[in-house]
Amino acid sequence: MLELIVPLLNATVQSGTPILYATLGEMMTEKGGVLNLGVEGIMSFSALAAFVTTFTTGSATLGFLAGGCAGLFLAFIHGFVCISCLGNQVVSGLALTILGLGLTRFLGTPYIGLPCEGFEKAAFPILSSIPVMGDILFKQDALVYVSYVVPVLFWFFFKRTSLGMAMESVGEYPAAAAAAGLKPILLRYSAVLGGGFLIGLGGAYLSLAYTHLWTNGLSGGRGWIAVALVIFAFWRPGRAVVGAYLFGGVMAFQLRLQASGTNIPSSILLALPYALTIIALVFSACRRKHSDMPAALGTNIEPEG
Amino acid sequence: MSTCDFIRPARKPLTENEVPVVRLVGVTKRFGKVVANNNINLDLYPGRIKALLGENGAGKSTMMSMLAGRYKPDEGHIEIDGKVMDFSSSKEAINAGIGMVYQHFMLVESMTVAQNVLLGQTGGFFINPKEMEKRVGELAGRFGLDVAPGARVCDLSMGEKQRVEILKLLYRDSRILIFDEPTAVLTPEETIRLFEALWKMAEQGKSIVFISHKLEEVLALADDIAILRRGVIEGEVDPDCVESKADLACRMVGKEVILEIDRAPMESGKPVLEVRNLSGMGLNEVDFEVRQGEIVALVGVAGNGQKPLVESICGLRKPPRDTIVIGGKPWRRFFAESTWKRSLSYIPEDRLGLATLRECDMVDNILLTTRKGFAIGPWLDKKRASTETVGLVEKFDIRPGRIQALAWQLSGGNLQKAVLARELYREPVLIVAEQPTQGLDISATEEVWKRLLEVRAMAGILLVTGDLNEALQLADRIAVIYNGRILGMLPTSDKATPDKIGPLMAGIVEEAAV
Amino acid sequence: MLTGFKLRKRDEPWKWGALVIFLGALLISLLISAFLLEGQGKSAIDGLFILWDGSFGHVWALEGALLKAVPIFLCSLGVAISFRMQIWNIGAEGQFALGAIGATWMALSFPHLHWTLLMPLMFIMAFLLGGLWAGIPAALKLKLKVNEIISTLMLNYIAILLLDYLVFGIWKDPSSYGFPMTPKFSENARILGMFGSSVHWGVALCVAVGAAFWAFMRYTRLGYELKASGQGPRVAKYAGMPYGFLVMFVMCMSGGLAGWAGCVEVAGTTGRLEPSLMVGYGYTAIVVAWLARLEPLNIAFASFLLAALRVGVENLQLELQIPAAFGEIMEGMILLSVLAGQFFLTYKLERRKLSD
Repeated sequence: MLELIVPLLNATVQSGTPILYATLGEMMTEKGGVLNLGVEGIMSFSALAAFVTTFTTGSATLGFLAGGCAGLFLAFIHGFVCISCLGNQVVSGLALTILGLGLTRFLGTPYIGLPCEGFEKAAFPILSSIPVMGDILFKQDALVYVSYVVPVLFWFFFKRTSLGMAMESVGEYPAAAAAAGLKPILLRYSAVLGGGFLIGLGGAYLSLAYTHLWTNGLSGGRGWIAVALVIFAFWRPGRAVVGAYLFGGVMAFQLRLQASGTNIPSSILLALPYALTIIALVFSACRRKHSDMPAALGTNIEPEG
Repeated sequence: MSTCDFIRPARKPLTENEVPVVRLVGVTKRFGKVVANNNINLDLYPGRIKALLGENGAGKSTMMSMLAGRYKPDEGHIEIDGKVMDFSSSKEAINAGIGMVYQHFMLVESMTVAQNVLLGQTGGFFINPKEMEKRVGELAGRFGLDVAPGARVCDLSMGEKQRVEILKLLYRDSRILIFDEPTAVLTPEETIRLFEALWKMAEQGKSIVFISHKLEEVLALADDIAILRRGVIEGEVDPDCVESKADLACRMVGKEVILEIDRAPMESGKPVLEVRNLSGMGLNEVDFEVRQGEIVALVGVAGNGQKPLVESICGLRKPPRDTIVIGGKPWRRFFAESTWKRSLSYIPEDRLGLATLRECDMVDNILLTTRKGFAIGPWLDKKRASTETVGLVEKFDIRPGRIQALAWQLSGGNLQKAVLARELYREPVLIVAEQPTQGLDISATEEVWKRLLEVRAMAGILLVTGDLNEALQLADRIAVIYNGRILGMLPTSDKATPDKIGPLMAGIVEEAAV
Repeated sequence: MLTGFKLRKRDEPWKWGALVIFLGALLISLLISAFLLEGQGKSAIDGLFILWDGSFGHVWALEGALLKAVPIFLCSLGVAISFRMQIWNIGAEGQFALGAIGATWMALSFPHLHWTLLMPLMFIMAFLLGGLWAGIPAALKLKLKVNEIISTLMLNYIAILLLDYLVFGIWKDPSSYGFPMTPKFSENARILGMFGSSVHWGVALCVAVGAAFWAFMRYTRLGYELKASGQGPRVAKYAGMPYGFLVMFVMCMSGGLAGWAGCVEVAGTTGRLEPSLMVGYGYTAIVVAWLARLEPLNIAFASFLLAALRVGVENLQLELQIPAAFGEIMEGMILLSVLAGQFFLTYKLERRKLSD
């Protein structure tokens, strides 16, 4: 039994990782009061940016950062449209998804089918020798190890730093932040950009560590799942971890079942994560009272004077 | 308010050689075509409380927002300690020692008191909640402002929230403290505590600006009074030299105002609204009735249960069974069978967000609640709706007089007239009017009052208001609500009523007779 | 902000503003696309000329655009009515798929029925399934406050997988050499060209639906109620409107219209159900709806324009081997620049006076 479950859980962590990065990125954006529905587009575009960078330079780390920067770039467009031009956040995010997916397919066509080095799994010294847990959590690639620290930093940032507190205040009540002498516009930009960077890292993970290969449609709805997971997580990083691995588990399970040659049609298996997303939202809707949803989420800051 | 009985420290006369800490010199501010402030000159001195008296829309808030760095003056300048300042953000104003308590609190509800006080003032990059709470606790103790630093702001009362706002200013060492209508949300009890805190702060050399349109409070509190009318400083008066309130009021509004209106007695008929033992949603055994031909005022400090009560009467929330009877029908049946005419009219506080459609023209806005009267099967008779709208616009003198005008283009007074026109067109049997004159100028207020008194002939009116004068002028009976409970139903014909309202609003029940 | 200028809120709406902004957005998007073409080592001038030529240069191009405009228009109309109520129905793509499935189901089940009976049956089933697919998120939103953006979007993925399941499985044509597609529909289940041209009767359907929609919104009580409750549930309740019913109605209508689009596609264009049916009309419809500011007449123009863009891009793909995703990039950019430009509908820049 253990021989079956440990590899499955190991794969769970791996497929949960890109979702975790993206969920935290979207959570940061939303904590600053901006809804970014472009996650899907950002993830796929940054997956390409990461791939191309690693492919041409041979450096996986550089690729990873390039993914983040690509996320930053698209998030900036969203920020400009919504924060500076007061565009509708829902529609701008959708447009960004269309643009991001389009750019990915347009620029990525020459690379289809090409492999790249990326990140290989490497046992973490000492910790990987812990029985069971070590096999699940510490025989992964470097980006997974990084992802263990990110939620903690995320929590620390919002609870223990003044910038985090200021960012949260513009998500709750921008006028109060302005009255306290903060700069709401700048803070919102930083939330959107910071979030975009994290989402970009999630995208980079897909091409550098998950597939090691360029194909179209790499993001496969993970961006949308991340948007849903922020709601499911009640805007708390701890619950985001749970949610991301839950979906990672379903995806890993579904892949394994397909590979095992079951006679359940593959389309039904493929639909599992999407159906689960809706179920997760239904589940979290029942306990909405406990959520930390930012009060000013989705509303723009009108200029004065 | 006649309940403001307290000992105030002796007024200090202004000596010759005192230097103003703040000077506004020839300040003008325009919004589009509207001149909000015109050539304002004003001096503020340390250790003194300056009251800024003016009607709603006189330009008080604009003026103070410029001082607080939110707006930039179009002309003129602001001097602090003799230096010309050009604020381009709130931060600069805060650094210059100017602090403001806004009418709508600028507090982040989901954060703690300490976090709110220290927002933007933390200094270092890392923060320590324990340490923050300790510092805020000490500060609160020093000024006798009682509030728990670790509590979340959303759990606080209005009075406590205001103390948090004051703490914010004190933490920033503000020398000039501006209070925008601070008593609007307070009980008389809390008002007195605020005044005491203000005197304490003035004693320590702070310069305080108290913005209000309540004459009694201004006379009781201030060292100097400046009167603002239509964006212009109308004059400065010494409160000790004021002959009468009426005189002050005159100067505030610019004409001999009838602060009183003739209320002809009216026979009251059948009950049109009966609320029976309504509990839940923050309400507690609310029990009263409104009869046709009478006005019942519901007064109380905002947030004491007025909202759930009004919303359940008007069908926005579902009350428990058998608690509300409208026009002789139980709530459920009334709303199931509700007709557009001879029914319930609700004139909400939120005129632009709830009572009208922002982006729609007058015809569409008139149709909002009367559409059933213009329906022919599934169709709407737009032509007849237009003719009727033209008629109403003329009858109620709704400017700018075009039926193509969109709701957001109308001024507050005209918008309220439009809502009133529409709701009266329905010939209601019950009217629920919520803060019907809030933010209106004197003439519009008079107009609304007159209409409400007229309409008693066919309807009973529940008037929800925070303006005691309005309640005393219009109502036959006044119900005082506190903490979801109606503490008293007082007839306005009784001379003692005005004095009884204050304590009741603060939840103080003296007699067993209530 | 820019020095020498200041922002001011407009007192009156800017009359031709929407058009100016749209044209500006188009120009910006074309400029950036030209850069992208250059980046791919193609001549931007040639590229843009071929794009124009392929979109508007020939009768076949115009006919192709008209055909593509049909599903986009129907989906977009549905999207627009839900957006007007601030219900964010992103699920036109899935509802389109369900409509196609419904129509195919009828076409395959009753191939020999006379077209006067079969055609209505197909349209009814397409409407029902499309409406159902939109009704699920509506019900979830009303009952459980489940965010409709996510639920409609997830249902898109599920709908496409359902379509795959059908064409790979039980509906697969035995004579298709393993290709995932259903058998060709019988003649009774086909929408034919108008007056012998390649433009089928779906175009006439669009005109009729558009006119009906316009009249419905303008002259009926229900239409008025939909418009009014666009301000939110509280206003609807204030005015005594059945908000829950209106949301259900709007979503089902919206889904039904997208379903019709799917029906017209299978019966008019492809003549069979196949995965290549799903080319993202549902997402283009969202772009169209917003560009058209949710007005039916504008939607007609905008869907034709974006359909023409699609045809033009296909031409570009043939002539210069530019990936088809070029069209998506243009769509995304136009929409983003229009959104940014709409700032100037509420604000204007004014030159500061020297005295300031």
